[in-house]
Amino acid sequence: MELTPEQRAILEGARGPYLAQCMRWLVEWGEVMGARRLVRCDNTHVLLCVPNLVARGASPRTLETFAEGLKEACRHPVASHCVATVHTLFVTLDPLDVPENDPGQVRVQREIAEMAARAGYLTTFTCAPYLVGNVPLKGEICAWTESSAVVYANSILGARTVRHGNESAIAASLLGVVPEFGVLLDENRRGTLLVEVQAELRHATDWGALGYFTGKIAGLGIPVFDGLRRLSQDEAKQLCAALATSGGVSMFHIAGVTPEAPTLEAAFGGKVPHDRVIFTERDLRDTYASLRNATGDEIEAVILGCPHASLREISRVARWLEGKRVADGVRLWINAARVTRRAHPMRHLPHQHAHGLPAACDRRLQTGPLRAGDDRRGSDRGRHRGLPTRRADREVDGRWLRRSGCVLAAWCEDGRKERRWWPTRRSRSGARWIRSRAR
Amino acid sequence: MADATLSFWGEVDPVSGKVIGKGHPLEGQSLAGRVLVIRSTRGSSATPMVLNLAKLEGVAPAAFINQEVDSLAALGAIVNGIPMVTDLERSPFEVIRTGDYVVVDATEGMVEIRRAEAQASGGG
Repeated sequence: MELTPEQRAILEGARGPYLAQCMRWLVEWGEVMGARRLVRCDNTHVLLCVPNLVARGASPRTLETFAEGLKEACRHPVASHCVATVHTLFVTLDPLDVPENDPGQVRVQREIAEMAARAGYLTTFTCAPYLVGNVPLKGEICAWTESSAVVYANSILGARTVRHGNESAIAASLLGVVPEFGVLLDENRRGTLLVEVQAELRHATDWGALGYFTGKIAGLGIPVFDGLRRLSQDEAKQLCAALATSGGVSMFHIAGVTPEAPTLEAAFGGKVPHDRVIFTERDLRDTYASLRNATGDEIEAVILGCPHASLREISRVARWLEGKRVADGVRLWINAARVTRRAHPMRHLPHQHAHGLPAACDRRLQTGPLRAGDDRRGSDRGRHRGLPTRRADREVDGRWLRRSGCVLAAWCEDGRKERRWWPTRRSRSGARWIRSRAR
Repeated sequence: MADATLSFWGEVDPVSGKVIGKGHPLEGQSLAGRVLVIRSTRGSSATPMVLNLAKLEGVAPAAFINQEVDSLAALGAIVNGIPMVTDLERSPFEVIRTGDYVVVDATEGMVEIRRAEAQASGGG
């Protein structure tokens, strides 16, 4: 790779051993991935979490060493021209939120968060930076962690970022450069797979099902969807998250909709392939079925907001919950960025406090602590199944669940579909499920 | 070894070094100190983090042989000093068998296979 004299000097230690190591990471990574130079990057989204939960049972020394690595990173200032937001944590730092937080982990994480803020990171603690003000423009070169956000940035916003890990995103934040490879280059942003969508996508999670189906086929490629209407932000979030979960997709196009695909030809850079994958109503049904592993009727937790909920999604839940309450023994979680939570008036939500946590911030479902009894959970996201946690074997992915006439999760405008996945029946407690009753 | 993709985030336990993904062809197998032959890794940005934790716990794979290179696995390999080779002349799934002794030289881009046949039965 060709380096400027200044870049070479950093690599050789002119700005200290840590920045030299950062530069080495970027240069070696770039060389492996076929980059020829480093290009300026003004926008990063980094992971600064202490992974206690992932590494449950790990030796204290491992976690200390890991945390020390993050602290070392936070002792160096973010490049002055760079905006750096921060990904979710494995705990929430708000003491009101989750009493189950491990105090030791909170202490270490708080220390790192404070160091990060001093170093110039914006401590957003979200997996959806595009919902909280980090909205890159078309063509803007970014270095984002969080595979679902990467797909969103590339596909929906037209920004340019490869999928980053914590080390590369930290290095990019400090040095303000990234190796130029993958979807940073025009020639790698063209479609590789044509997907004709015949199924009607009625609900936001249907877009997630399409994404899950397609990601499996696309692998590391770039799918181009034909036959889709303009999509909403929530639908886009679902599609992006699912594509990044079942495959290694960094971006997609929707012909006639997304910024770099005014036409099908443009999406493929000229030649539209003859072969196509067709997504039918049956594929939609089968995808849902493949993601569901419910083993019983009882629900202990309902979890929304993965990726983090938007203001609009919270509003929708709030409207649903108006005048209702969460059933005893059930906990409802809406994961959102703290900025979002603060911004939302939550007019209908306060009565929820007595029953648990209406909106947990800083962390997200896969990584947040769950109470021991929270194994049976319903969620609105296929993503939970694709990137399973260690608890995943007992996870229930039941969307749009209702119980005892109390609305638990409120995502669905279409009762008919609901019955398709969760047929009306009596639960063990004798209460009826499903909206047919709620109506 | 499996002709499949693997998500280090969620499908690998960084403490035991075992594959924990339900239904994954390598489920239950330990990656610790072994050469991992898979099509590619997939999924999450946390791949390098999981590899880092596994390395600190002493259960990281000894080397990667991949058919397709996923940029996140490449980053994880670089950051943690784990050799990785890809784009081999022959498909690794045709020539390597589980249990073989494999020498991976990522500097030279060479893979040497020593058959496990001489070993006691029950290997692999």
